[in-house]
Amino acid sequence: MEFLLENILNLIGFLVGLVIGIMSYIGFRNTGSPTLFRLTIAFSSISLGFFVIWTGYMVEDFVTKTGSVERWIQTLGIAIQTVGYFFIAFSHSIKSFFPKSSYFRSVGIIPLFLVSSVQLEHIFRSVSFILLAYGAIETMLSYFDNKNKGAISVSVGLGLLALGEFVGWYSFVFPESILYSASMIIKIGGLIALFIPVSKVPLTKIKFNGDLE
Amino acid sequence: MAEYRTHMKIIGDILATTRDDLQDEDGASVTYLIRKANISHSRISIILKTLVSQGLLEKTGNQGSNKYKISEPGREFLQAYYTFTNFANDFGLSI
Repeated sequence: MEFLLENILNLIGFLVGLVIGIMSYIGFRNTGSPTLFRLTIAFSSISLGFFVIWTGYMVEDFVTKTGSVERWIQTLGIAIQTVGYFFIAFSHSIKSFFPKSSYFRSVGIIPLFLVSSVQLEHIFRSVSFILLAYGAIETMLSYFDNKNKGAISVSVGLGLLALGEFVGWYSFVFPESILYSASMIIKIGGLIALFIPVSKVPLTKIKFNGDLE
Repeated sequence: MAEYRTHMKIIGDILATTRDDLQDEDGASVTYLIRKANISHSRISIILKTLVSQGLLEKTGNQGSNKYKISEPGREFLQAYYTFTNFANDFGLSI
């Protein structure tokens, strides 16, 4: 059951991320907007992250048949997704995410080499949760400004992804419980909510133009 | 409090004025665009030069009284601008 849900989640995540990434890229090519460029990077990363994990499951299922996906593949996929979530949050003006001191910047990465891949996965999930929650709140606040209904759906989508990350992370405490499956179902709901407003964007008559400086 | 406008929004405002709100058939004068887009002369001169060089605006009128009209690529750009403005708004962002 978990294996099936994991496959569905990663496939939907890959496709939704890819579609939104492509649309952002078309928008960037047409308008030259840096915001759309950041969204392109964000959703390309999210799509790639889901694809890496999905590929890991496929390789395990059809090639290695060990019964569980390689831990480092899972960690790598989650890390790539975290980069995407960072760019979504960054688009909402996170200006001081990294410490300004070059000393802290250089030593700040050291803990990542001192922990195992399991602990790394916890770190990435935690960071993803914070970034997604931030993005969800900022998007909801923007709804109160412009009353754009699509923002509600995106905000709910990001919120559900954040909740899914939290429940998924919490399932490590109760490994045999239903929590992990629940986290995947929540995340699938989040991805669908993200896709709803994007599916309504009319792309007719839009073609690639030269970038506008 | 005055609303902050991005460079892209100013371009959108200028193109929308030349499409929907022309003074006459010849196009919109620089003074008219300055008033409608609420932007300084020095800044609009640079933007207009860029938009003409990109083919989004057409320069009409004789010397001394330049006027500007939106071109067909300009109309397509404006359509794309509105579409992707809504797209970005869905994510709580502005382009």
